[in-house]
Amino acid sequence: MGFLDNSGDIILDAVLTDLGRKRLAEGNGSFKIAKFALGDDEIDYGLYDKNNTSGSAYYDINILQTPVLEAFTNNMSSMNSRLMSIARNDLLYLPVIKPNKSGNHTVDATLSTYVVLADQTTVNTMQGPSGEASLAAGQLNGDVAAQGANFIQLDQGLDTSELSANSVLAADLVETQYMIQIDNRLGSIATPATNTNAGETLGFKPTSIDDDNIATYIFTLSDQSEVVNNLLTGNTFSVIDGPQGTSVKFKIAASLDLKTSAYLFNRLGTVATAAQTLQGAGGTDLLGPDAPTATAYKFIDSTVRISGMTTGYTVDLPVRFVKQT
Amino acid sequence: MATSFKTFDNRDSVVTRNLLHEAIPITGTIVSGTYTNKAGTEYNIKDYSHGMFQSVYDYPYLSSSANHIFDLTMGYSPSSSLSQSLAADYSMQPKKINLYNQMAQVLVGFDENGAVRQFDEDGDLTGGRKIRECYFFNFARLLSKDEIKKGSFSLTLGVNSSYETGSFRQMINITDGSGSTSYKVNSPAGEYGILRASGSSGVWSAGRADPLSGSTPKCGLVYYQAGIAVITASVFVSGGLDGRSPYTAIAGRTTRMRNKVQLTGPPGAAGPHLAPAVLTGSTIDVNCDALRHRIKNVSFNNSTELNSAVYFCRVNNTDFNYSANPTYLKDSKLVVKTNAQDLPVTYVTTVGLYSADNELLAIAKLSEPLKKDPTTEFTLRVRLDY
Repeated sequence: MGFLDNSGDIILDAVLTDLGRKRLAEGNGSFKIAKFALGDDEIDYGLYDKNNTSGSAYYDINILQTPVLEAFTNNMSSMNSRLMSIARNDLLYLPVIKPNKSGNHTVDATLSTYVVLADQTTVNTMQGPSGEASLAAGQLNGDVAAQGANFIQLDQGLDTSELSANSVLAADLVETQYMIQIDNRLGSIATPATNTNAGETLGFKPTSIDDDNIATYIFTLSDQSEVVNNLLTGNTFSVIDGPQGTSVKFKIAASLDLKTSAYLFNRLGTVATAAQTLQGAGGTDLLGPDAPTATAYKFIDSTVRISGMTTGYTVDLPVRFVKQT
Repeated sequence: MATSFKTFDNRDSVVTRNLLHEAIPITGTIVSGTYTNKAGTEYNIKDYSHGMFQSVYDYPYLSSSANHIFDLTMGYSPSSSLSQSLAADYSMQPKKINLYNQMAQVLVGFDENGAVRQFDEDGDLTGGRKIRECYFFNFARLLSKDEIKKGSFSLTLGVNSSYETGSFRQMINITDGSGSTSYKVNSPAGEYGILRASGSSGVWSAGRADPLSGSTPKCGLVYYQAGIAVITASVFVSGGLDGRSPYTAIAGRTTRMRNKVQLTGPPGAAGPHLAPAVLTGSTIDVNCDALRHRIKNVSFNNSTELNSAVYFCRVNNTDFNYSANPTYLKDSKLVVKTNAQDLPVTYVTTVGLYSADNELLAIAKLSEPLKKDPTTEFTLRVRLDY
C-alpha cells in the first residue's frame, strides 16, 4: 500500500500590504487583524463547463489549472472579488450592481464616461450662456457639486428577465450598505441632492484614506445621506430587469488641487484630442482642440469603485476629470 | 444575510517563534585575490581616509551589486607592552588604542571602577590571561543577521610568514566548537564563545608537523549577537598560543611582506611574545591587508529570529460558497449551476486578512485554486512573519 502524497504545504505565507505596513509603522494599535475573507481574483468562471461529456469531474478541469499570481502588496489591487457566505445553497441568482445610465445620471454621450468639470471656468464654458441647466448629460459640476443637476446612480438587484421586476428580492441579498472609493487627490463624494442656489458645502467625510490616497466612504440605507435608497418594486426606471434591491446615488466634487491648480493635470493628465471634444447641451463643441469654437482642455482618467458591503459585488466606474486650459 | 468576512475569535490565532539559519561561506579568494588587477589594486576592498578600518565587499564596491560582508580592524590595549613606548615610528598608535578600547567597552564593558575591561581569553573576567593585541572581524548585519549561530564559526588562517602565496603552507583552524553548549553570558553585548585554534592534519599542510601538537589553545572570542570575532594577534607569533611549538617559519627571522610590512618574531625574546613590527610599525590598513591575505576561509551559520502569527482561517461547509466575481454570474444567474438544487461551488485563490474596519492588511496566496462547496470544510493556516 502506497503512502499518501503529503508534499503539499498547508501553511500559507502572508505578506503585508502597503497599508498594513503603514498601520504597523504607526504603532498606535491600528494594525490589528480581526477578520478574513477569501478571494478568487484569477478565476474565470466562464471556464466552468457544465456540459462536459466526460462527467462532473471534468466540469472545472480548466479552472483548477488556472495559475495563481503571487500576492500584490498594493491593498487596492487584491481581493477585488470576494467569496460570500450565504446560508442557503439553493440560490440560482445573485444580485449585481449596475450603472443606471439614463436621465440625468447617464454618461457623457461623446466619451461614454462620467465627466467631472474641475473648476468654475470649465463649468462656465460648458454651461454656455444659458447657465447651469445647459450642462450636458454625463457632465458633473465638480466645482460646486450641489449646483449640478447630474449625478451618478447604480442600481442593485437581479438583472435577469427570467424573473419579474415585481418579485421581491430576498432580504439577505439586499445591499443596505455601500463602500465608495475614490482617489482623494482628484475628488470627493458629494450628496446627490441638487440646489442650484446653494454655495459649496462640505462633502462627506471619508471613513479612511489609505497610503495610496484612496478615500473610502461608507453609506448606509438609513444614514440620511440620501446616497442609498430603496428601489421600489416594479420601478421601471431601474436598469435592473428583475427583482430590485437598492440604488446608490452620488456626485463627485473636484479636489481643491484640481480646482486651483493645473499641477496634477500637467503631471497625470492628457491634452484632449479632436475625438474627445466635449459638447454643450445644445450639441455645440465647447471644450476641445477645435478653436475657435472650442477651448482646449486637459483631463485625468480615474475610477470610482462601488462595492456592496453585503455581497461584496464591486463595480469600477470610469470617471474623467476635465479642466479648461 | 450574505457576508464576505469571517471574524477571528481568540482561538483562531497563535504566535510562534522560529529560528531560521543560513550557511555563510566566505572563501579567501573573495577576501583577497578575485578582484585584484595586475597593479595589486583590490576593487572590493574599501579603505578610508581616517584609516581606522577596512571594509570588505563581495564585489567591487563601486558597483551597486556589491554587498558589504565585513570590516576588519585591529588594536591593542593601553596596557599592552606594545603601547609602552611612544616611539615616533609607532604608526597610528593612538587610533589602535582607541579602537581596542572602543571594542572592549562595547563587548567586555567596564569594571566596578569604571575602567574599560580587557578581552579575556577564557571569559573569566576575575583573572587569567588577557587578549591585549587583537584583530577584529566585524561582520555585516547582512551576513550575521540576528546572531551568529553558536558552534558554527570557523576561520581558517594561513600562519606561514610568506605573504603572497606561501602563507597557506601552514594553516590553523579557529572554531568555537564548544560554543553551542558552553558560551558565556557576562558581556554587555550578549553571548559569546571561546575560539580555539587547531592545526589538525586535515588543515595543516601535508608534510609539516602540527605545531600545536594536537592541542587546541584559546585564541579569541566570538560575540554571537554582535557579529564580531576577536582574534588574538598571538596566532602569528612564535609560541604565541599557550607557548606551544613555535611556528618555525616565522620564529626568529624577518619575512618581508607587501608594502614592506614585516611580520617578525620578537628580537631575541623567548616564550610567548608578539610580533611588534607589524602591529606597531604599520598602519591599521596594512595590518588588515596582512591579515586578509592570510584568510583561507571564513564560515558560519547565522540565525534570524522569526516571530510569526499563525491565523487559522476556518472555513465551514456553509461558508464562502458563492462569489462576487463578475464572471460568476451571467444575467445574474450562477454559471456553475443549472438549477437551484445544484450545489454552489467556488474556487479560492487568495486569503485576505482585514482590520475591524475592513482594511486589507495582509494577503496570502494559494499555489492553485482550491475548490469550495457545501460538502467541504477546511482550515487554512496563514502565517504572518514579523
